[in-house]
Amino acid sequence: MEHYLVAIGVTAGVYALMALGMNVIWGMAGLINLGLVGFFAVGAYVSGLLTLKLGVPIAVGVAAGMVTAALVGVLVAFITVNLRGDYLAIVTLGFAESLRIVMSNELWIANGTDGLSGIPGPYRAQLGPHLFNLFYLAIVVGAVIVLFFLVDRLVNSPFGRVLRAIRDDDVIAEVAGKHVAVFKIKAFAFGSAALGLAGALYGHFTSYIAPDLFAPLLTLYVKLSLLTGGLGNSKGAVLGAVLVVFFLESTRFLAPLIPGLSAVQAAAVRELAISVALLVILRFYARGLLPERIEPPALAAKGAAPALNRI
Amino acid sequence: MEVWQLILNGLMSGTILAVPAIGLSAIFAVLRFTNFALASHMTIGAFAGFVANVWLAWPVVPSLLAAFLIAGVVGVLSDEFILKPFRAAGFITTAIGSIALTIALENAVRFVFGNELRGYDLPIRRDWVLGGLRVSPQQLENLLIALAAMGLLFAFLFFTRTGRAMRAFADNPMLASIKGINADMVARLVSFVAMGLAGLGGMLIGLDTTIDPLVGFKSILTIFAAAVVGGLGSLPGAVVGALLVGVGEELSLLILQPAYRSAIGFLAILMVLTLRPRGILGARAY
Amino acid sequence: MPGPTRRALITAAAAASAIAASPFPSRAQSDPIKLGVLTPLTGAGGQDGPRMLKAMEAVIAEVNKAGGVLGRKLETVIEDDQTNPEAAVRAARKLIEVNKVPVIMGTWASAVTSAVAPVCWESKTFLCTVSGADSITQLPHQGYLIRTQPTSKLQATAHADFIAGMGKKKVAVVGIQAPFALSTKEHLDAVLKTKGAKVVAHVIYEKDKATYRSEIDQAMRSDPDFLYLNGYAPDTVVVLRDLYKANINLPKFCQSYAVPQKTLDTIPAEVSAGTYTGQPSADIEGKAFKLAAARLGIAEPDSYEAQATDWASLVILTLAKAKEATGTALKENVRKISQGAGEKVWSAVEGLQALAAGKEINYEGASGPCDFTEIGDIEGCRFRYMEVVDGKLRFLKVV
Repeated sequence: MEHYLVAIGVTAGVYALMALGMNVIWGMAGLINLGLVGFFAVGAYVSGLLTLKLGVPIAVGVAAGMVTAALVGVLVAFITVNLRGDYLAIVTLGFAESLRIVMSNELWIANGTDGLSGIPGPYRAQLGPHLFNLFYLAIVVGAVIVLFFLVDRLVNSPFGRVLRAIRDDDVIAEVAGKHVAVFKIKAFAFGSAALGLAGALYGHFTSYIAPDLFAPLLTLYVKLSLLTGGLGNSKGAVLGAVLVVFFLESTRFLAPLIPGLSAVQAAAVRELAISVALLVILRFYARGLLPERIEPPALAAKGAAPALNRI
Repeated sequence: MEVWQLILNGLMSGTILAVPAIGLSAIFAVLRFTNFALASHMTIGAFAGFVANVWLAWPVVPSLLAAFLIAGVVGVLSDEFILKPFRAAGFITTAIGSIALTIALENAVRFVFGNELRGYDLPIRRDWVLGGLRVSPQQLENLLIALAAMGLLFAFLFFTRTGRAMRAFADNPMLASIKGINADMVARLVSFVAMGLAGLGGMLIGLDTTIDPLVGFKSILTIFAAAVVGGLGSLPGAVVGALLVGVGEELSLLILQPAYRSAIGFLAILMVLTLRPRGILGARAY
Repeated sequence: MPGPTRRALITAAAAASAIAASPFPSRAQSDPIKLGVLTPLTGAGGQDGPRMLKAMEAVIAEVNKAGGVLGRKLETVIEDDQTNPEAAVRAARKLIEVNKVPVIMGTWASAVTSAVAPVCWESKTFLCTVSGADSITQLPHQGYLIRTQPTSKLQATAHADFIAGMGKKKVAVVGIQAPFALSTKEHLDAVLKTKGAKVVAHVIYEKDKATYRSEIDQAMRSDPDFLYLNGYAPDTVVVLRDLYKANINLPKFCQSYAVPQKTLDTIPAEVSAGTYTGQPSADIEGKAFKLAAARLGIAEPDSYEAQATDWASLVILTLAKAKEATGTALKENVRKISQGAGEKVWSAVEGLQALAAGKEINYEGASGPCDFTEIGDIEGCRFRYMEVVDGKLRFLKVV
């Protein structure tokens, strides 16, 4: 059981990294990124290809994955900088889906739907599976802690304040003299780097990545992590990620308690339980379990639609 | 000749997509959030129609009506009891909540019906060839039904008091409330109609193929794209967007392999939005 | 102490220590053996997982009724892989580390199998799969993986022979993108060329679409006389319908898992007319196949149902042979009962009886002779072809 928990812990850590990255893009800057799984894929593929095909050391590969993801983030942000709300959502979603389609069909890049197998992991052979998982948990937890502090400092920095101002009302921010576009792009780049880091770490942990992995489902889980934890809040992001993974896994043990179900029904019950659990948390902790301490002004006004449709 | 066939194919598939796309835009116009639960309501409608058509042996048109009604009722209930409490927390929360809801409803359908592919009890007919172009009678029927549904909807919105009240509310909720239009009733009505359209769309898609619990999920991205391209919140925009996306994907086959259809679709969306960031018909146009 | 009593005491002591030293200590003798099943119950593969599960459970029920294995009953522990590699890996870890299963059976999507395989071989868990990507058996799995699905080369070669045998010269290959898409087309083309035929078009379409009219038009442009449909059930059904509507009456070949009887029942007979299908098979009489058909109550079990039957049977027989329920025991002993000079058996129950009588056995399965190479591929198999007549699968021949 402990080995299982360690491995699940690594997964939760990877989700937490993604949630922290998304926290900057969405929680702080208010930019809807439904294509986060695409940046995750960029980090995973770049690091995977470099270490597998070119024998680059893993740390270098991971760094390269982060940088590439950040650059792609800059590109996407640049293209979408004038889009609002749901329009931004569809374009980012389109980016992730298009990336997945290209990776699936262009076999020469990374084997298409066959995926990349045998991505090296640090000291994998020497440690053996259980110790490796434990070692990796330490790495991931370390990464989460470092990222957490970085994001926290960002939140409390002038940059962070401007981001929140943009999130709440970017017209005013622009009027106040801040180059809104530049801030948005920077936020996107930072968040994408975190997503790329998560992807690279995931690839080196499991040793296998494929386009099918980068499904919209993953985006959903991360979004739910952020919401359940509390938007704009780093602690909330981490807590939310852990909670989502907890629901994903604990519900496995639920179905055997209900007698007389077919396997498909048991699987359906499990997914129902996961979505219901998340809905319940969303409902009763609508601002998240750890809501942002700084009160965002006009966001939660009941019934009245803000004149500018931004979030 | 080939180009015209592609355009025709695109118009046909686009018209079917327009039905649920209108629903998505309508909910956005009135309730101001993207309701991804549309996907599962399409599935619910498709299965309701299946039960009517195959288990109860009803003919197609009454089954379509059943699809509309049942999906609509589920839509009202799901909005009232599950999504409405989220509205206070903001539109994003409600949208994300709608994704969790759609997963829940899809699995409810899976629980009852399992994953097996199911088909409607409908004879299949060969295409007609008109002027060198191929079109199937089923496509034409679907087209007529879709047009009829849209026509009824527009008639309702323009020529009935309730419909005009809904449009007023969508345009300016505060003013509408002052004038005595009940926000809750409008919300319920829009959910009913929009999700009903989703259910109808789900069955229309299924009539020519097969259905399983994933039938709504498979189309939701394209529908979302169509609504956004046309301008979220604009009903005619949803139709225009759906036709554009449908035709665009078909025409892309002239240059690219079929495996890239959706990617082209998204590229087209990007181009449209770059030129007109609010979508073709903008934020709100009736 | 009187003689007989001492002898009795020593015998008793010897028996007690023998029981204590055996792999199944007496207090756990009634514990069921848990076999792990990881298969798509939701997601794109949701139609295929339940069929495979049913086949496995049918074999297990039959064996349990006949007394189980080594005095223990068999049980399945089932997890949904959601047709997604990330979810599948988590599910596999749970099966391995929490339920401690010696084997995982049932992965379907190639990406899922490739993702789960390292988790299995690192934890010395045995994995049985239907996934078709050639790269899967090339992984360094150290013998912890067997695949009952033929390689795309084996399959495409057989199918090409079949098609050429019908006198067809121009084949259009139409299907989804998958690891086996390109290799299937290439092997088909290579073999067809040796018979004076060839592949004239290769169209890859996107899954999940509601119509493939334009893709079919594209394939028809090269004027084929035969269509090879290489997709899964949901999209194959759409293609068949679109072909009918377009008044294209060419003969077509579908993979057997794309047109199981259940799926054929959802489309009108006119639509499925002229469809041929084939699946890997063991021998002309198909004894194991017939037993599987009877066990499942289906006239023509499809490829996946046959393979799942074979996994369960192979695993059960190996457990009996090895007298140990671990992944390593499975890896080291599976070939001792699946191939070789032993007495041929066609079901798990039959094999268990033979083993109990001290004989060597060679399991011949419903999906093929089940003789595995070093890397876990099947060495070869016959192919069983069927034609769809009046909406029903009708046996044609075994080649």
